[in-house]
Amino acid sequence: MSDYKAIVIGGSAGSFALVLKLLSRLSPSFDIPIIICMHRLKHIRSGLVESLNVKSKIKVVEPNDKERIEKGKAYLAPSNYHMFIEFDGTISLSIEDMNNHSRPSIDYTLSSASVAFRDRCVGIILTGANKDGAKGIKDIADKKGFTIVQDPATAEVDTMPKSALRVMKPNLILSPDGIIDFLNNLK
Amino acid sequence: MDFKTFLQEFKKITDYDFCDYSENSISRRLQKICDETKMTFEEILRRCVTDRPFMGRVVEDITVNTTELFRDPQVWVSLFNTLYKSLPKTTVTFWHIGCSVGLEVYSNLIMLSELNMLDKCRIIGTDINPRVLSVAKKGEYAYSFNKYFEDNFNAVMRGIGSKSKFSDYFDIDEKKDQIKIKPPLLGKPRFICHNLVMGQSPFAYRVDVVFFRNVMIYFNDALQRKIMAMVYSKMYDNSFLILGKREDLPKSLKSKFISNNIFFQKAN
Ligand SMILES: C[S@@+](CC[C@H](N)C(=O)[O-])C[C@H]1O[C@@H](n2cnc3c(N)ncnc32)[C@H](O)[C@@H]1O
Repeated sequence: MSDYKAIVIGGSAGSFALVLKLLSRLSPSFDIPIIICMHRLKHIRSGLVESLNVKSKIKVVEPNDKERIEKGKAYLAPSNYHMFIEFDGTISLSIEDMNNHSRPSIDYTLSSASVAFRDRCVGIILTGANKDGAKGIKDIADKKGFTIVQDPATAEVDTMPKSALRVMKPNLILSPDGIIDFLNNLK
Repeated sequence: MDFKTFLQEFKKITDYDFCDYSENSISRRLQKICDETKMTFEEILRRCVTDRPFMGRVVEDITVNTTELFRDPQVWVSLFNTLYKSLPKTTVTFWHIGCSVGLEVYSNLIMLSELNMLDKCRIIGTDINPRVLSVAKKGEYAYSFNKYFEDNFNAVMRGIGSKSKFSDYFDIDEKKDQIKIKPPLLGKPRFICHNLVMGQSPFAYRVDVVFFRNVMIYFNDALQRKIMAMVYSKMYDNSFLILGKREDLPKSLKSKFISNNIFFQKAN
């Protein structure tokens, strides 16, 4: 049994293909909940979960408000909502103002996970063209959670990983394959 | 003092009870109020005792008022083709709970106007926040900042096969950078200040359609259940309930509604 209650992933430009790859190469018995916050382009607001589910080894859902986080599932922040993890292990949503020009905001999801799970979560920052997520992954690191930043050299757009690296020092800097191996070896 | 203690003290001083709001959202709102006023929780409480207008502003700043014209356009198109076409033939009463600055109310009115149904409808919008209600009554909004309202509007009109233009419903004043809803839509709805947490309903009659979108997400499970029970009691058999796109009924009420992906209907 792993010690971790959740894997929390943030990404923006370029991250969709990467998350797809990651979910498709997970071991089917991977049972730590995966919580994903990805920025979306305004014109492709729907269809994301469907496409992820075609290849994912675990079930991907866009959660409803107050949905309980369950093992063996991945949760994708719904378009146009911020997504938070509450203390009691449920997900809550909000449509409040954008943060870093984004809704969902990766900072919000990651910071709330750092409070709810403390050292028992893994935070991962992927490729992206925005600094959203840097504060969130720092919060996870500050609570002694395990942190991974995608190696900027392997990122389609390196602004997001670089912004994270500017404010914190992750446990690991990994390539996409490295991240997948890391997850599959967690158990 | 942590935010939970603050909320308990605030409730004692003001009668406003935010103790059962979703923790993440409310704690960040409170942090924002502290940052902006440069005051601690203790200082805010002390000032609320003597300074009622200040207390009012704190209440207003606690609530999240984001809203838009025709949020989720495809939902409105589906409602047009289903719910709006099966409304009762007599007077229809609509209740928008947590209506904020009224854009959802006016979206509904535009639908009713498209269907020539305005005259037989009674529309009430309620919210805890008097500041947003006064904007709702005026029906005035910033223009360029909200350009996407027009995109949503056009998407809905396209979806329902209407030729209506944005300027049919809004006066656009480019100089003032402002849009204003036109009569007869302006002045049609009644806006009432009402706090759901008190548990009472704001009027004596029952309603045919309840818009209750993106308000319950700010409440925890227990409060959601309490408020939904009150709302349920205000609905007729077969009345409609529309929740936000990612909201669901509390478990205890699920069997009392028939649902599709777009709305809920009270079972008889
Ligand atoms: C995010 S807005 C939703 C606006 C609109 N229904 C929509 O979906 O676009 C939530 C509204 O609920 C109101 N609200 C929050 N707590 C309330 C309470 N206890 N009683 C009544 N309204 C409340 C807020 O003031 C705010 O205007």
